[in-house]
Amino acid sequence: MTEKVLAVNDLTMHYMTRKGPVFAVDGVTFHVDRGEAIGLVGESGCGKTSIAISLLKLLPNNAKILNGEIRINDTDVVPLTDNEMNKYRWKDISMVFQAAMNSMNPVYTVEEQILEAMREHMPQLSDKEMDEKIDHLFTLVGLDPTLKDQYPHQYSGGMRQRAVIAMALSCDPDIIIADEPTTALDVIVQDAILKRVREIQEKLNMAMIYISHDIAVIAEVSKRVGVMYAGKLVEMASTEAIFHRPVHPYTMALMSSFPSIVGEKADLVTLAGEPPDLLNPPSGCRFHPRCPYATEICHEQEPEFRDHGADHFAACWHPGGEK
Amino acid sequence: MSTLSSSAEIIYVPLWRVRLRLFWRSVKTNWATFTENPIGLLGLGLIIFFGLFALAHPILMNTAWERKVYDPVNGFDIEIPFHPSPPSAKHLLGTDPMGRDVLSQLMFSTRFEFALGMISALVTVLIATTIGAVSAYYGGVIDVILMRVVDLVIMVPFLPILIVMSALMHVGMLELALVIGILSGFGGTAIVIKSQALTVKVKPYIEAARISGGGDFHIIFTHMVPNLLPIALLYMMFVVTSAIFSEAVLSFFGLTEIDMSWGLMINTTQVFGYLMRFDTWYLLIPASLAITLLCAAFYLVGRALDEVVNPRLRER
Amino acid sequence: MVCVFRTPLRIGEGCGVQSTQKFEGDNKNMWKFLGKRLLQMFITLLMFQTVTYFLMDAQPGDIADLLTMNPDIPPAERDRIRQDLGLDRPPVERFFKYVGNFYRGDMGVSFSQFPRPVTEIIFERLPRTLVLFLTASVISFWAGYVSGKVLAWKRGGALEYSSTLVGVILYTVFTPWFALMMIWLFAVYLDWLPPGKFLDPIIWLDAPEGLHANNVFLRMIWSALIASGVLVAGLVFTARLSTQLRRLGRWISFIVPMIGLFVYWRFVAVGFNSYAWDILQHLVLPVLTVTLIAYGGTMLLMRTSMLETLREDYILTARAKGLSEKVVRDKHAARNALLPVWTGLVFSIGGSVSGGIITETVFSWPGLGLTLLTAAQVEDIPLAMGALTITGLLTLVSHLVADVGYAFLDPRIRYN
Repeated sequence: MTEKVLAVNDLTMHYMTRKGPVFAVDGVTFHVDRGEAIGLVGESGCGKTSIAISLLKLLPNNAKILNGEIRINDTDVVPLTDNEMNKYRWKDISMVFQAAMNSMNPVYTVEEQILEAMREHMPQLSDKEMDEKIDHLFTLVGLDPTLKDQYPHQYSGGMRQRAVIAMALSCDPDIIIADEPTTALDVIVQDAILKRVREIQEKLNMAMIYISHDIAVIAEVSKRVGVMYAGKLVEMASTEAIFHRPVHPYTMALMSSFPSIVGEKADLVTLAGEPPDLLNPPSGCRFHPRCPYATEICHEQEPEFRDHGADHFAACWHPGGEK
Repeated sequence: MSTLSSSAEIIYVPLWRVRLRLFWRSVKTNWATFTENPIGLLGLGLIIFFGLFALAHPILMNTAWERKVYDPVNGFDIEIPFHPSPPSAKHLLGTDPMGRDVLSQLMFSTRFEFALGMISALVTVLIATTIGAVSAYYGGVIDVILMRVVDLVIMVPFLPILIVMSALMHVGMLELALVIGILSGFGGTAIVIKSQALTVKVKPYIEAARISGGGDFHIIFTHMVPNLLPIALLYMMFVVTSAIFSEAVLSFFGLTEIDMSWGLMINTTQVFGYLMRFDTWYLLIPASLAITLLCAAFYLVGRALDEVVNPRLRER
Repeated sequence: MVCVFRTPLRIGEGCGVQSTQKFEGDNKNMWKFLGKRLLQMFITLLMFQTVTYFLMDAQPGDIADLLTMNPDIPPAERDRIRQDLGLDRPPVERFFKYVGNFYRGDMGVSFSQFPRPVTEIIFERLPRTLVLFLTASVISFWAGYVSGKVLAWKRGGALEYSSTLVGVILYTVFTPWFALMMIWLFAVYLDWLPPGKFLDPIIWLDAPEGLHANNVFLRMIWSALIASGVLVAGLVFTARLSTQLRRLGRWISFIVPMIGLFVYWRFVAVGFNSYAWDILQHLVLPVLTVTLIAYGGTMLLMRTSMLETLREDYILTARAKGLSEKVVRDKHAARNALLPVWTGLVFSIGGSVSGGIITETVFSWPGLGLTLLTAAQVEDIPLAMGALTITGLLTLVSHLVADVGYAFLDPRIRYN
């Protein structure tokens, strides 16, 4: 039995807004094995980033985890205080943020910012050892180590992204969350970085959660994929299964909205309607207003997230569109 | 391809009507943002209070108050033996060492404070906007020259300049307002407006206007300036604060030749030696409080306006 | 020293160990920048003097009239004096003479304190205003920085509301009134401090021959400067050490100058230490007043800036790195929030100078500001102009320091 680095059980988190609570993450359950790379895909506002910041307990003041467990290396971190959580942050689980442009403090050198984390979590290392480690990290992500004492604004976009990845790796975490790391970059740089990320992940045998709205990117890096919709995890299976045998109608729509270079030309299938308002989510299955297969029960009851065979999980009353 | 329905009606609305409607709509949304912040309302309330205060004076002078007794500059109350006298039913804030009613003085000066503030602010906005827009638009030599002048003006703080100026020339209310307006206009406000103008200059509609043959003058005043007005309006508030404050200080020092102002009231108190006494509090405190509150009022309105003009500052 | 440009690293690690090439370039840029600004400053000062000179010249009457006000003196004498003093030469020629004299240290002769030269008067008063201005600026900035960052960090609650209120009040209060209130509170009601003036003449009546108040004051300034120098040097050197040693180092660099000051003034300076104490007592209230007034603006600005900075992405990164709250607040948020506040400092310098003038006047504290005011009141034009020019110079230098300081603080300006 492969060891689970991260296990999320029935996680529920809400933001308190002026108009009421918004359940950005609702009853989400999944796990990540050691060395495994999974992807989380969904449209904007579906809760992917909310999950990411919940895992590190970096919630803003108006957000709260209401329910559930987050087990990092089999320790539930949900009840921990901020101070206690600091020990896990970056050391056990780290994160590469969206839009690295502003992820780094402009008034300190890149080196200093990485050293800061290392000094906090690995104080036993000598200065020389830390220095060497940074050089090693830089080479790993494809940056020239002599540039480490420059400031973030002196780096280009792609370089900054690589530096942020190096920073996330600095304390040898067990799992890294990458939240849309390449969205702000042009495709060529994006490609290079993705390749690099996959190499690193395989080489260090590091677990990873890759979050994106771009399915193509997810397909490249992850072994398993989770699909999110309106704060809920609606499907989770191997990448191959998701692409070729999607079960949830939303996943099916996602896959067919992706034009293929090969094969015959077909019309793009689009979904009618808009993503639901999370203040007032639809009753029953949240996807039912836009689902072509929706029936009475979809309107009334939320489907259970269960195994539909061969570790292919989905929450749907009509898996595969069957009646 | 679908065809346009031929029964569609075309409504003709005059351009000015459209502009007015858009303007009104933006006023309404901005007002909503402005009122979100209580300090803006507080400031506005204070300003309205002082406005009424100023308006009340001529009414009172023409009705309840006899001119001989209550005139703020020349009045004198014969009935009271010793001036300054503490507050009484007849004189709600007492009388000053020269026998004049304090409340009357306070109210009378208010209109001048407003006028001073408005004139200074107007002059500042006119000058600063012109400089900022021209400097940003033309760049080059004009920019360098104008910025040198601005540097010159910022170099020395307000007050010392005004002090020395009062030694050199006659300083009445109007002169003071103009000088303050000019100094502020050529000062920091111009820099802020210029940087705003620089961002406007690169907007596509400026390019479009130029291509369609708009002359420089036209572009600057019809296109750039309206976009600079919100920031200019914001700084107007601070100029008013500055003007009222400066006049009060100068009058307090006795350097102005103004008949009556709040600062002058304090100066009178000092000249007659009643400044540090607790029992003549009514000579010092009402005037000082008035200055503080009116300055604060405009400052608070400015702060609230800042949130309207700079959306990033909003609380969300 | 090259290392000052970078954040301090651990002990043992050099600075710029790999890219000395870059650092050399950096230093050179710094000097070029400084040189350019000094030149700008000089030109601006020159322009200013031109304007003020011709304004002054436009005034009717001159010193010859003043000297010959006695009606018994024949008009020919007035013309002779004029000729002697060179007042009949064309204005432009006189202007160049004036400027030449200025840069040789001669600003003319005061009308009201005739025949004392303006330069002498100004240099007597200048150190006092400098002390007032510098002390108030440093303390108010530091206090505003600390309270602004702490207040923004703890949002909500009565503390935030009340301190914002206090800040607004301090910022908008009518300065003369505030100064008067301070006098009333501390000097009249509590009777802790003297109500004004530079010193108490009665105490000084018994002073030994040759003991000048200014000398004592200068002695005080020197001792304070040396003590501060030791303190700052200590702080800079200990910043590189590990946390434990650093705390100890900081305490030492604080205690040593304090002890030094105490020893000097208590034992070495016998004979004039009681007079110094008198001056010090008269110094407290003006400094406190100007500090409080400047504090309000800085605190409010820091708070606003901090609130904006807290929304930045790198704050989230810092938290994600598992750093303690204090480190995130101080090292990451406050350090960046400082930048716009420092820029605002340039504008508030003018306010501080004005505030200083008002305070000096209300307290009758004879610094440059009061000199300027009284000169204007009696229409002593040379003195007023001289004081104005020096005030302008002071402001220019402060602007320069602020600009250079900003380059230190923001690496985006340094490396462009």
